[in-house]
Formats: sequence, structure tokens, C-alpha cells
Amino acid sequence: MVYRRHCSCTNPYSSATCDCHATPRFHSICMVSDFFYPNVGGVESHIYQLSQCLIERGHKVIIVTHAYGDRKGIRYLTNGLKVYYLPLKVMYNQSTATTLLHSLPLLRFIFVRERVSVIHSHSSFSAMAHDALFHAKTMGLHTVFTDHSLFGFADVSSVLTNKLLTVSLCDTNHIICVSYTSKENTVLRAALNPEIVSVIPNAIDPTDFTPDPKIRDRSRITVVVVSRLVYRKGIDLLGGIIPEMCQRYPNLHFIIGGEGPKRIILEEVRERYQLHDRVRLLGALEHQQVRNVLVQGDIFLNTSLTEAFCMAIVEGASCGLQVVSTRVGGIPEVLPENFIILCKPSVKSLCSGLEQAINRLLAGELLSPETIHRTVSTFYTWRDVAERTEKVCVYNRVAQEVVLPMDQRLERLVRHCGVVTGCIFALFAIVSFLLLNFLRWMTPDSSIDIAVNATGPNGAWLRQYSTERKHELTRKRDPDACKEPSDLSAEH
Amino acid sequence: MGTKEFLDAHGEKITLHQEAHSVSCREFSVVCPKLSVRSVTSCTCAVWLAAYAIFAYTQNTLVLSAAIICTICGLLLYLHFMKIDQESLLLIGSLGIQLTTSFASGKESTVFIEMCRVKDVVINEAFFMQKVVYYLCILLKDPTDPKEISEIVPVFQSSKPRMDCLTDVYRSCQEILSVKSHNVATMD
Repeated sequence: MVYRRHCSCTNPYSSATCDCHATPRFHSICMVSDFFYPNVGGVESHIYQLSQCLIERGHKVIIVTHAYGDRKGIRYLTNGLKVYYLPLKVMYNQSTATTLLHSLPLLRFIFVRERVSVIHSHSSFSAMAHDALFHAKTMGLHTVFTDHSLFGFADVSSVLTNKLLTVSLCDTNHIICVSYTSKENTVLRAALNPEIVSVIPNAIDPTDFTPDPKIRDRSRITVVVVSRLVYRKGIDLLGGIIPEMCQRYPNLHFIIGGEGPKRIILEEVRERYQLHDRVRLLGALEHQQVRNVLVQGDIFLNTSLTEAFCMAIVEGASCGLQVVSTRVGGIPEVLPENFIILCKPSVKSLCSGLEQAINRLLAGELLSPETIHRTVSTFYTWRDVAERTEKVCVYNRVAQEVVLPMDQRLERLVRHCGVVTGCIFALFAIVSFLLLNFLRWMTPDSSIDIAVNATGPNGAWLRQYSTERKHELTRKRDPDACKEPSDLSAEH
Repeated sequence: MGTKEFLDAHGEKITLHQEAHSVSCREFSVVCPKLSVRSVTSCTCAVWLAAYAIFAYTQNTLVLSAAIICTICGLLLYLHFMKIDQESLLLIGSLGIQLTTSFASGKESTVFIEMCRVKDVVINEAFFMQKVVYYLCILLKDPTDPKEISEIVPVFQSSKPRMDCLTDVYRSCQEILSVKSHNVATMD
């Protein structure tokens, strides 16, 4: 009982041998995560950029997330990227509640109408991502999961989440991590076979982060910090570094961009040491403002306590800054040694790291911003990420694999996740299987309208866009196709 | 123009009548399936059986009379306010769009939209219950800024025809609308 794609193969499990599935050139990918725009962060931009590059490569991509306030329903973004904002309740920290069952009807409807072949879930904090993986396996679709974060092993909450992750990933076809440290962490947490885990780093758009040394103030040394002001980003360390360094170097200035609960610490430090003219707190920055802040500095400081892959330091380096960072998580993998000064996560070590950077700067030993930018801009690009995701390891490989049938899946759950947890989730798997069959009986796949493909082969978006232009001349329509999503389906 | 059979979003049969009164005037009506005797009987039986059960337990005849009144009133209200027999869209290129909803009791409600307020007729998609459905809708211009959309009026809301039916209606509507806007463009 596997949802059949509209090819002629009758045995859904032997998709690898069936002609039409042997070398699927284009995939129909569904990205699922609780985190997507208008929420801002690393996962959100990762999903967006990856989707855009996959669309460029000719795949069909849709995104499923939950409704953000007024933004609900179905929207189209640039290049026909279709986003479903599902009306689900948000429970904690923008993550939806999970019962492993309640989202099945809607998700199944979307998977069927969009003829999705690969489900790609993002972020282990997202309940919807895990739900979607669970349902996709019940429906017999291929599954891929990207883990964006590192976890501990010791405290109660990580023990519980690690158990859930084990359950969620034990029968997932492929897992992507953003760095080798993150891979190690995920493999240990979820007790996985390392062979099904690939490392594909995050990327930045190097054209967004270009250096501009003219803006720098030669008379002073500027240290830039851009991060959310939260505990995890080591803001407490920053609060210790600022007074010490300002005392040692009278022409040292700090620019701090970002907002968060730890802002109060920095304000206190500024108040106590009378550093109002030397420490500027900019508050929350929009993505396009980040570059203009970065280019004002000479040194980029990152004080994170844990980080799977630090996008911020790549952005800093791409703007031609010398990076000083803590040696945690995947950070040592990110940049080569001559671009980054790594320190222990302590005030003393970070101060000596900064001192080293300042001495180099004063001696004129630092690489020129252009050199750094040119080198870094070749390291991490989204096109490369998309290509690797598609070819080298994931989609093409996953499409050849066989989705576990129900009996094997249950066996795997019980064998892999321990008797108690395994049995509980095996029970859930059976219930969701029954529910799926009930839904299939209530609304058969045949009574579900197939959605118009906006992207992918024969995508309506590009075709439609050119006809739209012609129409415009005679009909004086709204030219901005992104704001007018309904026209797409209308043009079919 | 003719009659075609389609399915609605729930998998039930609906019929679409298309009638071309003139070149720039067309009428589309979607006829929903009639209220079946079986569903009426089963509903009534369920209520009455429940009433008899309570009656057997309480020995109070008031329960039975209440059940009878409930079923009759319920049926009347259902036919008068809920059960829709036919929804039609009358498009006159030079005048406007008229939407008519006929209820099973014979009640009709009509909405008329002047052509100067109509921006376009499009097919959009939306979440409905645990489904994602396509629907036909009329976009209304914002009177202050004609480039913006002030309101979306869904058409065939209760019958919920499927995509194939909507595309038929959409194509015919666009034929008339494009002729009309072409005339406007040449007049400018």
C-alpha cells in the first residue's frame, strides 16, 4: 500500500528497477520545516537558497511550513517557489505541537496533489519536520533529513530529544549534516550508520558580502560582532572581553549587531565602564544591513559556545575581515588557518586572540580584504550545495533506494530504538498506517486534483511569465507576478 | 452551449450548464446533487431512535414530541439555509457579474458586481478543512487604487467543483473579459 506515482510501474517497492524510475533526472522535492520566512535565521535562509538553486537545476520544489500569524495559505515566492503555510498550532519557540497523527491528513493531501517523490525535512527542533518524515515513511516516500544543530548528551532534555531523533532517523533514507563535527554528533545521538550521513556545508551568497575597505576608519580599530544576543552565542564572554580590551587599546571600538535577551549584559558593561562612545549596540539587523555593518570593521569576533557550522564567520571573512573565533563545534572546519584565529571559549583566551589580530593589523601583516574575499567566495556557494545535494550524495542516491515496507519498518523500530520506545512508536506507526488507509478510503488519491507545477520540468512559472508579459501589453495587468500568486494557477 | 458532468471535491457528481446568451454574455450554473431520501431517512431514524431510547429510560412523552419538532424544524432550516441546489454565475461583458445561489427551499440570494469593480477572474488554491482545494474567485479592484485588490469573492463556494470544471468556466470567462479589456485598451 504505497502511494503510487503516476508512472506505469505496478510494484511500488521496486522503483529502482522500474524504467521510469531508474534514472529520475528531475525530482519533485518537498522541503518541510517549522522554520521558514518570515521567521529569520540560518535554517530559513538555508531552505530558501537551496530550493532556489534546485529550481534553477530544473527540479520541482515546494516548501511546507506552519502559518506565521497573518501569513497562511499558499504563497509563491521568487521563481515559482510554492510555500504552504499550514494552519497548525504553534507550541513553543515557533515549533508546532506533535502528536504524530494530526498533521497526516493535510500533509498526505499535499504530498499526493504535488506528486512529491522526496521529502526533505530540516532542523531537529522542528516537530513538523519529524511528523512529515513519519508520514512520508508510512506513505512509502523517500526521506532526507538535514540536521542544523549540535546537541549535548548529558541533560534531561537532550536525552529525550536524542531518543526521539533515534526513532525519527532510524528508517530515514539519508541524513545531511552541515559539518563533520555535526555528523559525528548526529551519528552518536541517533545511533546511525555513518554511511547514510553526508556532510554538505551551508553557504553564503558571496555577492552579498563584498569588502569595501574605504568605509573603514583608519584612525581606530573596529571589532564587529554580529549575532543574536543569546547565551548560546557566548554574549557573557563578550561582556568580559569588552572592558578588558578597551582598557588595553584606547582606540579600539566595538560595533555589535543583533538583538536578544542578553543585550542587558552588554548595556550594563557599557554603563559601568563609561564606554558609550566606543561600544555601539545596533539592535536587530535586517539581512541586507549586515554587510554594511560588517565592512565598517577590521576584525570580526565570534564568541559562540556551540555551533554546527558558523555562517557568521564566513560572512565576516567574505567581507574581508580578520576573524577571531572560539574553537567550538564545527568552526575549525569552516575556514583555513590563515583566515581565522581560534581561541578557547574563555575571556582570557579570546582577549589574547584579539590582541594577536590587533598586533597583526597594526603591523600591516593582515591579508588584504580583496584577497580574503576572493578566496572565501569560492568556498561556499549555494549552487555547489544544491549540486552536491542533488548528485553526489543525496537525491539521486535516495531515489534508487527502497523505502522500507511496513513490516520491516516495525521490525527496525523495535530492534533499533529499544524495546519500550520501539514498541510505542511501532504502535504509532500502525495507527498512522490505519489512519492513512482510512483517509485513502474517505478521499481516494484519484479524487485529489493534481496541482499545477510551478517549477520543475514543464513548470508553469517560466512559461507563464513570458505569456504574462505579452498579456500585459494588452490587458494592463499587475506586472509583479510574485504579489499575484493566483494568476499562476489561472494561467494553466 | 451544453451540459457536462464533473466531480466535486468530495467526489460527488455535479453538473455544469453553460449557456451563451450572446457573444459577451454567458451563464454558468453548477447543479449540486439533490438531497437523497436515504440521508434524510437515516438522519430522522437516528434522532428518533435516540429519542425512543431516552423515552424508554425516562418514560416521559415530552421527549418524543420534542424529537418530532426537532426533526421537522431541523429539516426546514437545513433546506432553507444550508442545502444549496444550484449556484450560477452570469457574466455580461459590458455590465458585470451576477452570482446567484438557490437553496433547496427555493430561496435565492443574488450578488451583483459591476464590471468597473472587477479586476479579474482567477483560479486560486486554499486550505479547506483538511484539504487543499482549487476555487474560482473574482478579484475586486480597490476603488482608491485600481492596481490593488480590495476583496476576493469566491464563486461556487458550496459545490466546490474540481479543477477540470473550474478551468472550463475560467476559459470561457477569460474569453469575454479579454475581449472587454481589449476594447478598453483600444479606446485608451
